[in-house]
Amino acid sequence: MGKQAVGLLAEIGYTNLRYYVGGMAEWLGSGGAVEPATSAVVPLSNGTSPGAAAVAAPRLSWLEKVAALSLERLIAIWLAMIVVFGLLYWIAGVGMGMGLQAGNQAVKADGQGLVTAIYFSFVTALSIGYGDVVPLGWFRLAAIVEGAAGLLIFGCVISKLVSRRQEELTEEIHRTTFEDRLDRVRTNLHLVFSDLGSVQQLQVEQGVLPELVLRRLESTVRVFRGELQAVHDLLYRCRVMPDEETMASLLANLIICLQGLADIGGSLPSRSANLTAGFKSIANLANDICGECVPRTYAPELKDSMDQIQELARRIG
Amino acid sequence: MANPKNAETVHSYSLIPREEILARLQDRALAIVNVMPADSFKAGHIPGSLSLPIADIPTKALQLLSNLQQEIAIYCAGPT
Repeated sequence: MGKQAVGLLAEIGYTNLRYYVGGMAEWLGSGGAVEPATSAVVPLSNGTSPGAAAVAAPRLSWLEKVAALSLERLIAIWLAMIVVFGLLYWIAGVGMGMGLQAGNQAVKADGQGLVTAIYFSFVTALSIGYGDVVPLGWFRLAAIVEGAAGLLIFGCVISKLVSRRQEELTEEIHRTTFEDRLDRVRTNLHLVFSDLGSVQQLQVEQGVLPELVLRRLESTVRVFRGELQAVHDLLYRCRVMPDEETMASLLANLIICLQGLADIGGSLPSRSANLTAGFKSIANLANDICGECVPRTYAPELKDSMDQIQELARRIG
Repeated sequence: MANPKNAETVHSYSLIPREEILARLQDRALAIVNVMPADSFKAGHIPGSLSLPIADIPTKALQLLSNLQQEIAIYCAGPT
């Protein structure tokens, strides 16, 4: 495509053309900087545009960092926190008046004391707070901190569980919509093809096409343009890629429709403004379907189909 | 339009290596032009390069690059 572009520019009259053969492939491979900075050549996420040159990623507040941890991580951290606080309360039992108090007695730094301390830690973190063991002095502050942290982490855990289910549902919806879309494209392409066939037959039988038929042709062209846009989006913008077979059949359908359009367009004595605009639009879209430029690498047969589509674009536009 | 695959006319152009582009990213005398479709350009392009999708060349090239003697480095996705 690059060489082709150079040729086109030379035809226009540019005299100082340089061609960078390696292109994006070589540039990226050698670690060259890219604008916008957040992306290499990856498929655009569905519907959103990447936006202008990137700024550094916004600094996450510590709250967001916690929320970003995985479910398993969070639970592990929660347990670790309980154990650490438990040890803290227990060690504090060294001195009197510090640490914990069970009933009327201070909790001592012995085996039994350890069990009580861990028990208290759990009861605090789970926000139960029986009150059979209570903290003393500064350790009341520690207990409050533990309580708050426990709640926070639990909130994150629950929201992650919920959002997992949400994600599954969203995937399901996307997949169904996607399949519906593919079906619609296929059906419409079949309709377009059969329409074009009728028009061609009329051309053969009658030579000149009546106004009515030309009107109908304009509509058919519009419908085809819509479906061509849909396939273009599939190639460039889809998060979910159709399998190669489906893609191959879609491209083949496009090719036969484009051939029909090229043949009809070629033998029309004149074109209405609508028809010309429609053809131009189709040619532009079809030209965009370039085997080299699509984000994903396809099998050679599919690339050939895309090349064919570009050829036909030139015949039409 | 002529089918480029059949055309035998040889247009004069020279090659430009990656190193030279890298060295001249800030050089205003060199116009770096990306001929891929607009979507691909948005997904990632050489810093400072201009977007001129190949389909738009006949209509928009002169608008974008008015000086025919301008030194232009053209690139696309990779070796065609």
